[in-house]
Amino acid sequence: MTARDEVRQAMTVLARGEPGAGRGTTSDLTIDETLLLHSIGWEPVDMVFGVSWWSIPWGVWQWTTGEVDAASTAFAGAVDQAATLLRAECEKAGGAGVLGVEVDVRVSSHHASVELSGTAVRRSTGAHTGFEFISDLSARDFVLLTRSGWWPLGLAAGASFVVAPRRTARQWASQQGQNAELPNLTQALYLAREGAMERMQQAGAQMKADGIVAVKLREGRASSSIRVMQFVAIGTGVHLGSGEHQSITPAMVVSLDEQVRQFDVKSLRAPGRR
Amino acid sequence: MTDHHPQPEGAPSPDEPTGAPAPGHLPEGLPPDANRRLAELEDRPGHKGMFTSDLSVNEFLLIKEVGFHPLGFVMGSSIYHIGIQTRRWSQSQELSKLTEAMYEARQLAMDRMDAEATELGADGVVGVRLDVNYYEWGSDTAEFIAVGTAVKSEDGTSYRNRQGKPFTSDLSGQDFWVLMQTGHVPLGLVMGTCVYHIAHRGVGQTLRNAGRNVELPNFTQALYEARELAMTRMQDEANALDATGIVGVRLEEKTHMWGDHTIEFLSLGTAVADTAVDHTIPQPQTIISLDG
Repeated sequence: MTARDEVRQAMTVLARGEPGAGRGTTSDLTIDETLLLHSIGWEPVDMVFGVSWWSIPWGVWQWTTGEVDAASTAFAGAVDQAATLLRAECEKAGGAGVLGVEVDVRVSSHHASVELSGTAVRRSTGAHTGFEFISDLSARDFVLLTRSGWWPLGLAAGASFVVAPRRTARQWASQQGQNAELPNLTQALYLAREGAMERMQQAGAQMKADGIVAVKLREGRASSSIRVMQFVAIGTGVHLGSGEHQSITPAMVVSLDEQVRQFDVKSLRAPGRR
Repeated sequence: MTDHHPQPEGAPSPDEPTGAPAPGHLPEGLPPDANRRLAELEDRPGHKGMFTSDLSVNEFLLIKEVGFHPLGFVMGSSIYHIGIQTRRWSQSQELSKLTEAMYEARQLAMDRMDAEATELGADGVVGVRLDVNYYEWGSDTAEFIAVGTAVKSEDGTSYRNRQGKPFTSDLSGQDFWVLMQTGHVPLGLVMGTCVYHIAHRGVGQTLRNAGRNVELPNFTQALYEARELAMTRMQDEANALDATGIVGVRLEEKTHMWGDHTIEFLSLGTAVADTAVDHTIPQPQTIISLDG
């Protein structure tokens, strides 16, 4: 079979969509996670992806300080679009939700891209309940969460991009050698963080979540200028299902494991021989 | 706990917008954007609140287990210009101006985080992380940031410390659970810092010691003293809270931007107090895990 035939065959198999109809399940879950999922009556179905690129208008970073709204709008659009595509792939594969979603965000001067990839899962009874959630929680977290009565709803994300303001020459001169807080910079970055978190909260409120867990606040440089900073807050919106919070009653344990000794193959070589 | 919690000095009420900042310093209290975000978290008639938290699912469930509910992700930050202090090449000494800078900047960040937690009516903040960031655009400046998750007890018992403020703690959700199981409560995150300049060795000393095994008393003494100063300051903070002990103490050494011979010694820990004298600690079960 030539390479072209192989690709063609792969395309036909993928086009069938429904696993079990000629293709097995694919997942990036570990064996432990798969077992845990089965223990609560769920199973992995397929790996699914969603990617979206949005353009950022030319010149929004120049001659400005403070928040750049055009960039956060592009980010929000890209997240929405990527999540929609992820959901479409999940539904096509017959999944009820996506777990362990990895979120890859890239923002440069002219575009923002969001890539989501995760494993679609469904109830092993085969009951079709429609699409339920997207979550960046691991299968382990999902099992614990559902056992205590909570359910993931969706990915809540918010971003904020800020061009750090400059100090005036007078401020700069008066602060030389002194201990002093820099109010305009402090405020600009404070507000940017608050902005990212507020947008994440609004995304959570839209999906009627009771809360957002495992929030990760990522910070760093965006675009090619050193004065442009990005703040991205991402978490999973959760809600308390029908009923009350169930206690998980943990027990205290002391693990008796020792670190596995690494076997160094090099030291087994006879001296003087390579 | 009542709703009338003490406000930090100068904190505005949530519906009162703060004015434009006076040149040279930040407006008192929380910025209006922070107030708006926190107000969205709270339950009001006609508005369903929610919680946010950077705790993992495990930590979230363990916090629920000890009877607390997360309220919101809170933070505070300060970008600070650190002054200059001359140091003598051959003298070991504390650089008090730099120590002050490191203290004040962290305190500013932590106070703002406290103010956000107070705004939410929290009993405490768990999982506090203190970070220092440097940016390429700022020489001699550093950003000090404090983040954590504000929590409140579900049965209405107040866990605020004797200063009437929410307790803060850098313990994880797991540690918090264990602490509460064993009859302790956290009182506050305590820290001590000391920026110290360690004298260089003189030419004579270097020559005399060349090729020999000897202790270097001036280095030993300088590092010893700097660490002791940092630890003592941390203990003083714990005493002010009437703590019975400090757990999870970390002693960090960083040179930041000052070169090899100027080091900041930072000690951080959570001050705790006993809730009961005759508390029995449950016997832990021993396990062997079968994971790879």
